[in-house]
Amino acid sequence: MSSPGSIYDLGYQGYDGPRLGRLPVTLGLLRATFRAAYGIGRGGRAKIAPFVLAGLGLLPAVLAVGIAALAAQAGAGGALAEASPIRHETYQSLTSTLIMLFCAAQAPELFGRDQRYGVLPLFFSRVLTRTDYALARTGGLFLAVFLVSVVPQVVLTVGGILAAADPLTGFSDEAADIPRYLAVSVLGAAMLSGVAAAIAAWTPRRAYATAAIIAAFIIPSVVAILVAELAVGDLARIIVLLSPGDIVDGLNAAVFGTFADSPAVAASGLPGWAFVVAAMLGIGGLLVIIVRRYQGISG
Amino acid sequence: MPLISTDALTKRYPGGVTALDGLTLELEPGIIGLVGANGAGKSTFLRILLGLLEPTSGRASVLGQDVRTGGTSLRRYLGYMPESDSLPPDMTATDFVGQMGRLSGLPAAAARERAAEVLRHVGLFEERYRPMGGYSTGMKQRVKLAQALVHDPRLLLLDEPTNGLDPAGRDEMLALVQRTGTEFGIAVIVASHLLGEIERVCDFLVAIDAGRLIRAAPLGSFTERTGMLAVEVEEGATRLAEALLRRGLAATVDGRTVLVELHDDRPWDLVRDAVAELDLPLVRMEQRRRGLEELFR
Repeated sequence: MSSPGSIYDLGYQGYDGPRLGRLPVTLGLLRATFRAAYGIGRGGRAKIAPFVLAGLGLLPAVLAVGIAALAAQAGAGGALAEASPIRHETYQSLTSTLIMLFCAAQAPELFGRDQRYGVLPLFFSRVLTRTDYALARTGGLFLAVFLVSVVPQVVLTVGGILAAADPLTGFSDEAADIPRYLAVSVLGAAMLSGVAAAIAAWTPRRAYATAAIIAAFIIPSVVAILVAELAVGDLARIIVLLSPGDIVDGLNAAVFGTFADSPAVAASGLPGWAFVVAAMLGIGGLLVIIVRRYQGISG
Repeated sequence: MPLISTDALTKRYPGGVTALDGLTLELEPGIIGLVGANGAGKSTFLRILLGLLEPTSGRASVLGQDVRTGGTSLRRYLGYMPESDSLPPDMTATDFVGQMGRLSGLPAAAARERAAEVLRHVGLFEERYRPMGGYSTGMKQRVKLAQALVHDPRLLLLDEPTNGLDPAGRDEMLALVQRTGTEFGIAVIVASHLLGEIERVCDFLVAIDAGRLIRAAPLGSFTERTGMLAVEVEEGATRLAEALLRRGLAATVDGRTVLVELHDDRPWDLVRDAVAELDLPLVRMEQRRRGLEELFR
């Protein structure tokens, strides 16, 4: 070769080390997707949106824990804990807009890039199938969104335990809520990231995908409120069950046994289990839509 | 065990286009040139071997494994350089090639090491830490080759590796392909529509046209058939052709150039003698390959 680089050439070495199979390779892509969702390994600008949104989602929990600690020192802990609007059962609705924005900002990046820049043939000619690829990308986005949703809840739990006079009673006060918010965060993150992933997988253009994801979150819930005000009928109930945000809201109310935050959900009069079923069916259907996208795509 | 063997391999796209039509082949390891005009079915053939496309009918096996069932365990040993652009502009070559190494089954540390090594082999040094969006076409082609080599495949499938390169870049890329096949000991299939390029590096040639096999043979037997001596003279091309015909050579006139079929070394001396005898102003003599179209006639 005529390139000046050849003087550094030490000769080609083969590779005799281990070669991993499908499962570790797929999990590796999932991990890489999770990191990319937070812009890790990308430039500084790629980190702004995810970290700002996740940080804003965490802010109420940090404030609540801080104020509770101060109030406990002043001897008013009990009264404040009763009155605080920042609680496990309200946190989902408090941060759902941020979570939706996180999905709308990051899903198009994770799913659109490979299609826009023609990288898919390089993925599909390697040690994973088209379905593995789709599941790894979706799983990585889900984990990133789940973290945005669950970390503030964990902060509230830890804060609650530390602020209690006796950590053991603090823990027993918190213990019942831990599986509840885990369930809401898992299903909620799966639902919202699933909608975003399904749209982003079918919409390679970034700007269109972001707009479409926001539309999919907002339009059904606005329509649900309008219809609910006109008349609560089966139509209103169907629309509520087609609105990802309302499903998560209804789910949260069902799991915690509280009233729904969304007026449309409250007015629909649907039983709590309807939202749990809707979430599970929705997540399953979205996975099918995402996986099918990559079966036909030329790669 | 042959490197690649196919039996009546056929691919019809929805809409009725037949890209491959009953291709039956058996190829041994080496540097194999896959030559054909655009649309002849070269890319389709490579993509079927990689499992990116399902054949409509027929059978193909690579490294002894059927491409339909070999799946991911077979693809661990295949490297693919597609014709199209396939590099995300915001990633560095190091990160990208490392990621591709992990996706081919290398553990993370090995992938990093191999990425650095293989990028050095293709001639990318400091540039590899910069985002690929700013790379020249030549650098991008090198990264595409590097990602195909990162996991030390047994078979490398290159689709038009010199596309978009300037003459110097073409020479360098072809030299790299040749080194990969000879020094690195990796079997290579190079698809190209430029016979003149591909014959410089490969030792076996497969010619396909409209999805059908025209010929598969060692390179030598192709050049025998396609050799052509072009003699350009300032004047008297017709007289030269007549003189050569009298000496028993198949000569035709094309403007100021006389084309002589070249089956052995004999015509060189005969042409020299004829030109000297007629005292013609000789401009140049060069060996030419016939165009692909002629090869397929």
